[in-house]
Amino acid sequence: MQRDLSSNFYFIFKWVIIISFVFYAVFPFLWLVLASLKTNAELLDDPFKLPAVFQFQNYSNAIREAGLGKLIINSLVISTSATFLNILFSSMCAFAIARHTFWGKNVLFLMITAGILVPLNALIIPYFAIINFLNLYDTRFGLILVYCAVGLPVSTFILTEFFKSIPKEIEEASFLDGCNFAARYFRIMLPLALPGLATAGTFQFILCWNEFIYAMLLTSSTDIRTIQFGISYFTNQFFSDYVGMFAAVVISILPSITVFVLFQERVINGLTAGSVKG
Amino acid sequence: MQIKKDEVVWLLLFIAPAIILFFLFFIIPILFLFVTSFTNWDGISAEFVGLENYTKLFNKKSFVRAITNNLYWCLTAALITVPLALIIALLLAHRSRGWKVFRTVLFIPQVVSSAAIAMLWAAMFNAEYGLVNFLLDYIGFSDYKNHNWLGNIRTANAALIGFSLCYVGYFMVIMLAKTAGISEDYYDAANIDGASQFQKDLHITAPLIKSTFFLCIILAVIFNLRQFEYVYLMTAGGPANKTQVLVVYIWNELSVQRLGRGNAAGVIMIAIGAILLLSLRKLLKSETYN
Repeated sequence: MQRDLSSNFYFIFKWVIIISFVFYAVFPFLWLVLASLKTNAELLDDPFKLPAVFQFQNYSNAIREAGLGKLIINSLVISTSATFLNILFSSMCAFAIARHTFWGKNVLFLMITAGILVPLNALIIPYFAIINFLNLYDTRFGLILVYCAVGLPVSTFILTEFFKSIPKEIEEASFLDGCNFAARYFRIMLPLALPGLATAGTFQFILCWNEFIYAMLLTSSTDIRTIQFGISYFTNQFFSDYVGMFAAVVISILPSITVFVLFQERVINGLTAGSVKG
Repeated sequence: MQIKKDEVVWLLLFIAPAIILFFLFFIIPILFLFVTSFTNWDGISAEFVGLENYTKLFNKKSFVRAITNNLYWCLTAALITVPLALIIALLLAHRSRGWKVFRTVLFIPQVVSSAAIAMLWAAMFNAEYGLVNFLLDYIGFSDYKNHNWLGNIRTANAALIGFSLCYVGYFMVIMLAKTAGISEDYYDAANIDGASQFQKDLHITAPLIKSTFFLCIILAVIFNLRQFEYVYLMTAGGPANKTQVLVVYIWNELSVQRLGRGNAAGVIMIAIGAILLLSLRKLLKSETYN
């Protein structure tokens, strides 16, 4: 009898906790979406009341007036290029480290992965100076280069672990068949490593898409501004047009949520593969 | 695989891009940070000034405030967010119906940009139309009607740190994955002994994911040391520097061209990170082996 009581209590406790945190995580987003479909006057009313007419023009206004289209294209170009370069460079390095023995290999791996622990935001002033020195201030390539470098430790770590898990026999067979170093990488290992590349790539893309401080630090012209930096202007730009700001925020978060929902097993696997060993 | 002589060039070519990037954006900036922190560099000229930047910083109230606030964020994450994440992970560990949906939903704040989250929660805390005040009013706390959470010197920090609990999902996912590796045998044995669900969670699952729990604490500390967007976009360090954090402080030094001083703050930040990491490692390691 007593056991039943305590297990009932446990059951209730469990669901109260889970549901209150789901509420905490999701409810603000639902409120945001609902608010983005109201008029500014309705916003000050009861927050749970549906708008009289759904104001879809808030979205078209935000896109038109704030040039959201341009911001999104900039973010897409910068994020995909940085992801591509990052995955190319880190997989090349990971292939060299995971499948070969050479002098200084362990030091190299330790050094790069220790980069995960550096609080990089402490380095904003040196980054600013270096990008200026390279004459890349206010260019897309400057941002691409920084994003590519910032994600290097995590990608190299994930990919090295992945390359290590591929059976050696496959590569050795191709070695005996006379494939050289580059052919072994491009023709044999890369196709086998696709799931690992997807995991590291998803991480890197979300990192680039969401990045804010370097975009603010290293660009100034509206032509190359990214969406995350762009939406922070909304507070000034629209002044009292809160609903326009909400619509813009909704648009800015859709791509990363979409990528996550599509690749969620990858993200979660990568997170745990990378961190459980850590 | 042992490398053949004629393939050394290939090997070098393959590791060169990563090494160049690593030097350019990790090694050189850290050295540069350290060296310029002893100068009065303003972007044009630099003179050696010894420890002046450091002494000035530690005599500044707002800088000391920034350090304590960062530690405050780290402590909240380590003592509240991560333990809460552990509880949720234990609750979902039985893979009861719908656990994947909860996992996905709780993880969503992690994939949304900090800038968007900051703007969303600034709106939530808004005095006129924010949901927080409305809900408080709804359940009877009408004193808080039109209360400006982020602008009020007493509530700004609490509001900022309170909202950060929405990141509980990230740590939960890491610990939840670890529970998948626990052998069913343990639970079967406990069932024979007639253990309740709560006893099984407490005596089997929790001890087995201890190392992952400690890892989450380390991650939480790193994230909260380098955080920038929430404070910058929600309060800009105000009111009256009450919510200042290190990276926002560095940013402000950069915008008035006191680059040497800003870099000294950066060195202090990296040093704090290193001290926290090393002492946590030591503390948690001895804990794990006991």
